[in-house]
Amino acid sequence: MPPSQCFPGFALLALDRAAHHSIASRSLLALPHTPRFSTSAPRYGPPPRKGMVAPPKRGTKTLNVKKGKSSPSRDTTKRPAPGDRKALRKRIVLSNNNALEVPTLQDLHKDTVLSGENEGLVKGLPEDVVDALRAVEAFKPTQGWRLFRRPAILMRKETTLLAALFREVEGTANGQAKMTVRKVLIGERMSGKSTMLLQGLTMAFMRDWVVVNLPDAKDITIAHTEYAPLPGSQPTQYTQDIYTANLLSQIAKANQSILGNLPVTTNHSLPIPLPSKSTLKQLAELAITNPEASWPIFVALWKELTQPGRPPIMLAIDNLSHIMRNSEYLSADVKPIHAHDLALVRHFVDRLAGKTPLPNGGMILAATSGSNAPTSPALDFSIQVAEARQLNPESIPQWNPYKNVDQRVMECLKDVGVLKVAGLTKAEARSIMEYYAASGMLRAQVTEPFVTEKWSLAGMGNIGELERVSVRLRV
Amino acid sequence: MVRGELSQSLRRAIESLGNLPRPQCDRTIRYPRRRCQLSTIRCISTSAPRHAELVNDTPEKFTAAPPINFEQQDAKGGKGGGKQLLRTLRVVPASPSYFSAKPTFTDDFISLQALLRKVATLPVVPPSEAPKVAWKTIDQYRIMTNEPVKTQRFHKMIHILRRLNCIHPSLMPEEVLQAMQRYKKASQPGDIKPKPGIIDELGRAKGVGRRKTSSAVAWLVEGEGEVLINGKSLTQFFGRLHDRESVVWALKATQRLDKYNVWGLTAGGGVTGQAEALTLAVAKALLVHEPALKPALRRAGCITRDPRKVERKKPGHVKARKMPTWVKR
Repeated sequence: MPPSQCFPGFALLALDRAAHHSIASRSLLALPHTPRFSTSAPRYGPPPRKGMVAPPKRGTKTLNVKKGKSSPSRDTTKRPAPGDRKALRKRIVLSNNNALEVPTLQDLHKDTVLSGENEGLVKGLPEDVVDALRAVEAFKPTQGWRLFRRPAILMRKETTLLAALFREVEGTANGQAKMTVRKVLIGERMSGKSTMLLQGLTMAFMRDWVVVNLPDAKDITIAHTEYAPLPGSQPTQYTQDIYTANLLSQIAKANQSILGNLPVTTNHSLPIPLPSKSTLKQLAELAITNPEASWPIFVALWKELTQPGRPPIMLAIDNLSHIMRNSEYLSADVKPIHAHDLALVRHFVDRLAGKTPLPNGGMILAATSGSNAPTSPALDFSIQVAEARQLNPESIPQWNPYKNVDQRVMECLKDVGVLKVAGLTKAEARSIMEYYAASGMLRAQVTEPFVTEKWSLAGMGNIGELERVSVRLRV
Repeated sequence: MVRGELSQSLRRAIESLGNLPRPQCDRTIRYPRRRCQLSTIRCISTSAPRHAELVNDTPEKFTAAPPINFEQQDAKGGKGGGKQLLRTLRVVPASPSYFSAKPTFTDDFISLQALLRKVATLPVVPPSEAPKVAWKTIDQYRIMTNEPVKTQRFHKMIHILRRLNCIHPSLMPEEVLQAMQRYKKASQPGDIKPKPGIIDELGRAKGVGRRKTSSAVAWLVEGEGEVLINGKSLTQFFGRLHDRESVVWALKATQRLDKYNVWGLTAGGGVTGQAEALTLAVAKALLVHEPALKPALRRAGCITRDPRKVERKKPGHVKARKMPTWVKR
């Protein structure tokens, strides 16, 4: 027997003491309860369960760090309802009652919107155009519309270039084939690419073009909307019915004045009956109630719009790099679906590549994004090539032959043009800062040194940074 | 006191025994000699002299006095014998302050006072216009003399030196310059002059700046306020507005932001360090273009390099200063 086990327990000691009465009265170990003869029962018994510890004495304070329902420090405030936070995040606010009305601000006019005389001026957007732009989700929550009394845009140098393209499209003589302009907007982060797209949409609305805007390519490809294979397509394409239905309703709402006047001219084999003598607006609105038929309706609408004698079309997309890669959708054999296999994206990309021209003329604009852009090496390379083609055609970069290439993207962007949205000039910066000051959002005297300082700090006139430096981060 | 001095004076005393009834110290001879030996080190300590790094001149070699030949002295002196001779012998140290605790310091002080008395009538310039001199600190002086000099006394001496330094530079006697040399530090302010910057044929001026572990080079050309850092625009490279303002602070503080373009290269460290390294680099490049801006830039805080760095971790500490948590047992 090892000596540690031989050691007599306290109970046994107490037993010994009890034998000697003289010591027992003074002993500290004199236990009140009856002495045990064995200690093996508690030793071999199960360990005390966790909750079985004796409760604290009455009146003592104990630390309670429990989580969950019984926690004393639980946050009992009301949580926002599901979807509230997202709604708050995506909310578009287009006016600020605290900003001053700018008396010198004049609205754009249909006749002068394409002329170069507006360059360097801040112009207000007319109400109906604002409604239409809102309908096609051209305003983005990150843009600074909520800072001013009403939406206004700076007609910068690139805007004038874009207006010149509009004039070219509209100016083609009747006999010639109508022109289709295909451009990708590129530039630094916050340099105003999405706003340039919005300016293009504005001009299209004001010149009575039909506008089809895909507000964010990300929504199409990140697999947040349902999809289904398109029957009879080889290779398989995928339609997104809910998204297309929503897009059609946006088109109908934004272009209601034009589409309401255009009658359906050809017979379409639609899965749902179309009332005779209906307009294109009614055709588009059919998709709201029948989303499952939205793709045939979209195709039918497009076919109607490309009939001779119809207005030019403005087709735009923001955040281009999302559709220049594999989408998040999976095919039936669990392979990623390339974004170009989505029917809606394919429709856009064919026009962007120039595969299917617009018979009535028009413009296809795609804006890249600086802040939410997944890597798409083929897109980056194609943009480099397109830039080189414009600036120095003798030295065009070559794709590294040892790297895999997304051939579909290269094919699509083979001969697309780019419009570089660079920094503002100092005159433009001064113009917009005077607008900021007149709105009461910039409390400083707009002088030459002040403008130069902000222009430099904004990275040579990057307009988003300029707004941040002078309006948002005001000390 | 110089080690050789005692032995020399001993020898001299014995030699003079024959000539004089009582040997006396000859002031007229001793004073100039002491003065010319001022630059040599003197030690009264028996321990080995410290060759401190601050003392740049080597102590003279110790030479013991030759033993006194009493027989010869007796023969020369005549009657009396050796005992008689010893009785008349009295060794006198070279310096009258030999028996004070700090003979070298006392001698220095007295000689400086004498020098000041001599040149007191020369015209002076105000102390702010006198040439800048870094005097030896009291510790350096103590090591040099190996004497426990008191702070207050030392300050009195420095006071005299400052007064001597205020003599009009064009009339400064050579003697005073020689005397002050002993009390100056080895390196004086303004000794190291940086090479003047140049503007190259393309109109660029270069400046280098550092902060923490970052370093930066900036090239400044005349322009209209464009900035490129490592080939990117200011906004692309620095997300924080504060950092962007730091980069162009030298130009902004002197109202030159719209007059120059900046090309910057920066590496190492973090974002703020790189921005502040660029501040210094831009300021130095600006000084090449416009040297007269130096006071304005100094007021803006763009001249002085911030010497602060991460403090090293120490053994026994968790971080530089943090101690481990106290644990019972």
